[in-house]
Amino acid sequence: MIPRLPASLRSLPGPPDPRHPLSLGLLCGAGALLFTVLMALTAGSSPGTTLNALWSSTAGNTFALGAAVNTAAAILLIACGFVIAYRAGLVNVGGEGQFALGAIGATAVGVHLPEGTPVLIALPLTLAAAALLGAVWAAIAAGLLVRRGVNEIITTLLLNFVGLALLMLVVHYEQLLRQPVTSAETLPRSEPLVEAARMPLLGVSGSPLTVAVVVALLGAAGTAFLLKRTATGLRLSAVGHNPHASRRLGVRVGGLRFGGLTAAGAFAGVAGGTVVGSAPYVLSDDIAAGYGFTGLVAGLLARGSLLAAVAITSALGLLVAGGIGMQMAAGVPATISQMAEAVLVLLVAGTAVLVRARPRAPRRAAPVPPPPGPVPETAVQGSGPAEKEALR
Amino acid sequence: MIHTLTELLVMSVALGIPILVAATAEAVSERAGVLNMSVEGMMITGCLASVLVAVQTGSPWAGVLAGALAGVLVGALQGLLSVVWRADQIVTGLAITMLALAGTVFAARLLLDRDAATPGLGRTAVPLLSEIPVVGRALFDLPLLGYVLFAGVAAVTVLTSRRTAWGLAVDAVGEDAVKADWAGLPVLRIRYLVVLLVGGAGGLSGAYLALAQVRTFTDHMTAGIGYLAVVAVIAARWRTGRVALVALVFGAAQALQFTLPAMGVSVPVAFLVALPYVLALVAVAGLVSRSRRPSALTVPFVRAGGG
Repeated sequence: MIPRLPASLRSLPGPPDPRHPLSLGLLCGAGALLFTVLMALTAGSSPGTTLNALWSSTAGNTFALGAAVNTAAAILLIACGFVIAYRAGLVNVGGEGQFALGAIGATAVGVHLPEGTPVLIALPLTLAAAALLGAVWAAIAAGLLVRRGVNEIITTLLLNFVGLALLMLVVHYEQLLRQPVTSAETLPRSEPLVEAARMPLLGVSGSPLTVAVVVALLGAAGTAFLLKRTATGLRLSAVGHNPHASRRLGVRVGGLRFGGLTAAGAFAGVAGGTVVGSAPYVLSDDIAAGYGFTGLVAGLLARGSLLAAVAITSALGLLVAGGIGMQMAAGVPATISQMAEAVLVLLVAGTAVLVRARPRAPRRAAPVPPPPGPVPETAVQGSGPAEKEALR
Repeated sequence: MIHTLTELLVMSVALGIPILVAATAEAVSERAGVLNMSVEGMMITGCLASVLVAVQTGSPWAGVLAGALAGVLVGALQGLLSVVWRADQIVTGLAITMLALAGTVFAARLLLDRDAATPGLGRTAVPLLSEIPVVGRALFDLPLLGYVLFAGVAAVTVLTSRRTAWGLAVDAVGEDAVKADWAGLPVLRIRYLVVLLVGGAGGLSGAYLALAQVRTFTDHMTAGIGYLAVVAVIAARWRTGRVALVALVFGAAQALQFTLPAMGVSVPVAFLVALPYVLALVAVAGLVSRSRRPSALTVPFVRAGGG
């Protein structure tokens, strides 16, 4: 199923407008890249060295490229979940905690399965456990939101810290998931997953590419189908647009919000499962670092278009890998990739006002055929989880 | 028993001060309609700036000043984005925090001499008052900066209470910016100023954490207490005066991490690490429905027709 071109692409012909969402996005990307090069320059790495290190640690090397794409797969899964919740007007900041819980779930199943279990049973079981724990973690926030009206941003954020503490707990106690302690040097991490619970390699020679990529693409396709082609997707965006009107029309606002946020948790959980299932196949307490925020960035930048999400997560996966490469080759601290992500978000969020500032076309023109010209779509795109596509 | 209680109280106040300082300013800002999820970022920036300057100059007070200034700079960025450009306050706040957390790690690698000793702030006991049983040491045996911060918190609380013109202006801007604008209040200027106040307070609490408590900079040393400050405002139901109590409770939750093992109670560390956040969750879950937040919180203001 090929998603329809986003509205912003369909209206491309005509004089290039620097305020157009697409060109604005490209300008922001260029700005973030420029920022990265400048920052690396302050760390003593010339632009040539920086770009060289970026290239050779990502696209210029089969192994690194495979690893980057695996990372991108996990980010894409989190981003898909983020988009589902965002469609219902909810911002899931809890990707990191849900990812950690998913990783715990996958490990709990993956190390205890009997050795001879067929892959076709072991792998789905492992990922299902990951999805379940991720969903449960998000359900706490979702329940508080629906029952008591507590802002989901605050709760999911706090649950991250609790989730990371839980991760620390399970890898530090032998009764839980820690590998048997044989000496003082035994690291606080789990035993490796049994062979059958590991993500199988796709078999590209010299590349660590795993099935995670397929899982993530299926997840993205499923999300696109859910949001654009089903009644549930339509109801989710109705809730996101106007919960009061939706309630009056008989839409179960609470249930949809609960479901949307819980689904986001399940997706982030599966992402955790795929990462535990990739080399070195063990759970350690730093496994979730950075994934949650990167997934949020991807979901936010994609603005509901899953095609864009695939492109953006690929770029972010390369960026994460590039950061590590720059640390090794050019001596630039690897956190530069997180800084670049943050700058990208700031640029996109800060320039959103440029899109909003254009003359507002009639905003309630949804049921009638779209007028020619880019105006209503762009006016809507700037205003949060708005997506009129599905309502047409 | 008395001894343990005293120790717990001393730790709770010490760990509660950074939260108190940041949360007091954040409460004012939220009453004016601006939510700053970037408090954590302001704090960590304050930590690094204060340590860097203190090491360079050898003077902890120069470090404190640098911490406050660095926080104000982060506040200026947040204000530019959320007040002037009307960008999404939560998204930009989280992104600023991420930028500050990653950026301080980056800058510390390049600029911080890990072997140099950080000149810290020593304690100054108030004569007599610090001899009071139980509460004496907790409140009157602090670094000088601690007393300064207490005075600052009290000043901000009084000056923005609902009995002053400033306090009324802050509330008016946060409840209905359009009507406040009609009434002639400089909405954007008030909002920008309160965000700068949060920046300065966040920077100062970071400097306090780094120079008076940890006495060095470590990566991600704020460990989420900036977020606890934001939650403290919600738990205090947007009353600047109640923030102190909530900050003390959050401080106590952190203090248990250190006092329980010292008392010989063996609890997995992870539970203790999670405790402040669990408590914060319970606080928002239990209190939020009984409270009314400022109507215009996170709603940017633009004069109609002004583009």
